[in-house]
Amino acid sequence: MPFADDLLLDAHHLAQRGGTNPKQSSLRRAVSTAYYALFHLLIADFVLNWKRPDQRVRLGRMFEHRKMVQAAFRPQGGVAVQIEAKLKIVVDSFAQLQEDRHIADYDVGTIWSRAEVTNALAIADEAFLAWRDIRKEKIA
Amino acid sequence: MYPSAIAKHAEIDTAVTEVVGLLAPDVVRIRYEIGQDWSGDWAIHFRVILSDEAGHQKLRQVAKEVVRLLASRLDFPAMGVFPYHNFRTASEQAAIQEEAWA
Repeated sequence: MPFADDLLLDAHHLAQRGGTNPKQSSLRRAVSTAYYALFHLLIADFVLNWKRPDQRVRLGRMFEHRKMVQAAFRPQGGVAVQIEAKLKIVVDSFAQLQEDRHIADYDVGTIWSRAEVTNALAIADEAFLAWRDIRKEKIA
Repeated sequence: MYPSAIAKHAEIDTAVTEVVGLLAPDVVRIRYEIGQDWSGDWAIHFRVILSDEAGHQKLRQVAKEVVRLLASRLDFPAMGVFPYHNFRTASEQAAIQEEAWA
């Protein structure tokens, strides 16, 4: 199983720990891991599709997280076609998870609820599906 | 430089009230805060309280509808902010008692 899928599975396991009384540590790690799952999914495809193998590692290192959000895609001229709509799901999901991850990792004052974490994981799941539907398209 | 969203609280309040009205009783209330996100970019954080039933049985469905309806009423790029949305159930907020969501 690809590394990104393993991470996403880990995130789900972490989120389910503790039953009705989950530990904040599990919920925070679940959110953080869901973000990194999507990050690794996107960067793996991006780097592997680079035509010069000798530059792939360097390219991966240069790939700053924020740049992916700043590449936000906005459909031009009204209703988005299906591929555009799916790409927008990926971009919006990445941005939301990136912010969630930062709060989960660094803002110790924020308390996470099960619903918040469940929603974050659903966002990651949807982004995985959307990306895999469009990854071979030119626009992606 | 501040984003124009800072001066548009009335417009945002109107949109929020409309969305809560459209999605009641699944959506109990929506609070928001304009500030900077993790990278220092301006952002608007929406904190959405869902009914317990909606949170347990149709969380994602309602969450997506909240995001869609807010985006259809508020032009976030023109306001100079990135939107973020987080969701809790009413009983979770009752237990956590966090001011920003109250």
